[in-house]
Amino acid sequence: MRILIIEDEKSLREDVVDYLTENGYKCDFATTIKSAIQKLNDIVYSCALVDVGLPDGSGIEIVEHIKKHNPEMGVIIVTAKNSLEDKLQGLKIGADDYLTKPFHLSELSARVYSVLRRRNFGGKNSLIFDGLEIDTTEKKVIANNIQLQLTKKEYEILVYLASNPKHLITKEALADAIWGDKADMATSFDFVYSQIKNLKKKLNEADLKDYIKVVYGMGYKFKS
Amino acid sequence: MKLLTKTNVYTTITTVLLFAMGIFVVYEVILQKLDKEVDKQLLSAKTQIVNGLNDGISPNEFLSNLGQKVYIKKVDKQTVFDNKFIDYIENQSSVYTSDDDVLQRELLFQTVVDGKAYEVTVCSSLSEGKKTGEYIIVVVLIFLLVSVIILFLLNRLISAFIWSPFYDTLSKIKTWNIKKNEILDFKTTDIDEFHLLNDTVKDLTRQIQSDYHNLKEFTENVSHEAQTPLSIISTKIELLMQESNYSEKQHKLLVQTYNATQRLYKLNEGLILLTRIENKQFVETTAIDLVQAIEEKIEVLEDFVEAKQIVVEKIFNAQVTKEINPVLLTILLNNLFINAIKYNLEVNGTIKITLNEDSISVENTSFSDKIDKQFLFDRFNKNSISGSLGLGLSLIKKIVDFYNWHITYSHKDGTHKFKIYM
Repeated sequence: MRILIIEDEKSLREDVVDYLTENGYKCDFATTIKSAIQKLNDIVYSCALVDVGLPDGSGIEIVEHIKKHNPEMGVIIVTAKNSLEDKLQGLKIGADDYLTKPFHLSELSARVYSVLRRRNFGGKNSLIFDGLEIDTTEKKVIANNIQLQLTKKEYEILVYLASNPKHLITKEALADAIWGDKADMATSFDFVYSQIKNLKKKLNEADLKDYIKVVYGMGYKFKS
Repeated sequence: MKLLTKTNVYTTITTVLLFAMGIFVVYEVILQKLDKEVDKQLLSAKTQIVNGLNDGISPNEFLSNLGQKVYIKKVDKQTVFDNKFIDYIENQSSVYTSDDDVLQRELLFQTVVDGKAYEVTVCSSLSEGKKTGEYIIVVVLIFLLVSVIILFLLNRLISAFIWSPFYDTLSKIKTWNIKKNEILDFKTTDIDEFHLLNDTVKDLTRQIQSDYHNLKEFTENVSHEAQTPLSIISTKIELLMQESNYSEKQHKLLVQTYNATQRLYKLNEGLILLTRIENKQFVETTAIDLVQAIEEKIEVLEDFVEAKQIVVEKIFNAQVTKEINPVLLTILLNNLFINAIKYNLEVNGTIKITLNEDSISVENTSFSDKIDKQFLFDRFNKNSISGSLGLGLSLIKKIVDFYNWHITYSHKDGTHKFKIYM
């Protein structure tokens, strides 16, 4: 799957490209509206990540272009923290999702996965690992052919981790993904910890290998 | 005591004292003058009597002309003495007069006519003069009273008029708010001192305002400018953490760096939020059903409530809809509820949320003691809970202030209660 990243900030762009490439996506990038539209005309992408604030105008233009010429393509817009209007406008003209800067790379990866799933790219609606199948349409988790009884939060955490395979997910990223900035740090970390503990226990009871690894002090890793 | 009242009191006291002294002096002078007048009359009577006696006129004849009581008696031998004036009080009480004591003055002298010595007493009443004196005093007293009242009122009027620019200045300084970018404009005055005062205050406030804005701008800039590098640092550390071949020591250092960065990042975010509220960047409002909003927020935080097994009691006494900014309401309710959860007991904790027509209150059991009210809403005043940024309550206060609401805090039997009057 090919993803176009339209972002003018070099450091962020490089991080995003690296991270998504590691997660198995093919990434191209553009830094201006002009070059982005050129690339969009040449290559068919599954998803585009569009920064709204570009040097030669608003990324909204690109979203409009995509929706006009390739409505099947997934679009995630990236906005500055306090530009609510950009966000609303972007969603109105057909962006699938939005991220506000700054974001955790794992969050981006999870969003990209979610958009691609919704847009049915690659024809798969579930994440399949050895003995573990996460059906994101039905929101079911099947371990060794038996459906696991997970709570909503446990399921969300599992999907988030599984959509970032091999990567370390910090506890902050996980807490942010689940509660946004609504929850206080210390309390939410404790909660994440206990949820992960339960999740590991349930996976363990289903005779699965240890998918979730706890990296002391840092976070969690999904090992497929 | 007001300046006007104070000056007025002093002026009045001084005036009354001066007048009293004046009256006393006038009274004394009048009395002395009257005495002299009486003496003159008595002496002129003496001359007439002596002349009359010398002329051989029978005393009875000229006595009636004089209109004064005269007593003449023969004495055997003339003793030499000068005119003697004697004051005495004659008791005249009778059926006809009500005045019983009459002040009299008599002149006693001896004269020799045709070798015969006579002792003559001429009497004159002093009462008339005394009465006149008393009348004068009464008139003066009335005059004094009236003038004191008039002076008092006039003083007040003039002072009020003169001091009005001062009071104007005072009231304007009192209502002056450094946060509002207003320039003080005082009443024009032709009094040099007030003019100077106004100018000085104007310069002073302008200086304070400019300093305040510079300082505010500086802190805002620091927060804003710090945000981007902070997020870059944070992302880079996250990327560093993706590597796995660290020694235990490197791992520990990385974790500590990451935690500190996250903390700084969140702190900065909180400060920016405070500034944005202060700068009125959340002005757009929507009508929000508070019951629904509270239910939603509690639901979001349900995980934490359940983790601590806190019993949440919600009492909705009214269906309240408020015109409020949704972001601010979310921040407000979140912080109120998160505090109530965070500082709650580990076992058997409760939270009671009460919504009334004009108020919302959150009560929670807690392990922490009463919070010192003085610093309650100050930034970074926190009970030593790890991970707490100490911005929650000051965010609540900021929002409450923004809407001109009022928040109270009370502590009773281990229960903390925050109540917001809307």
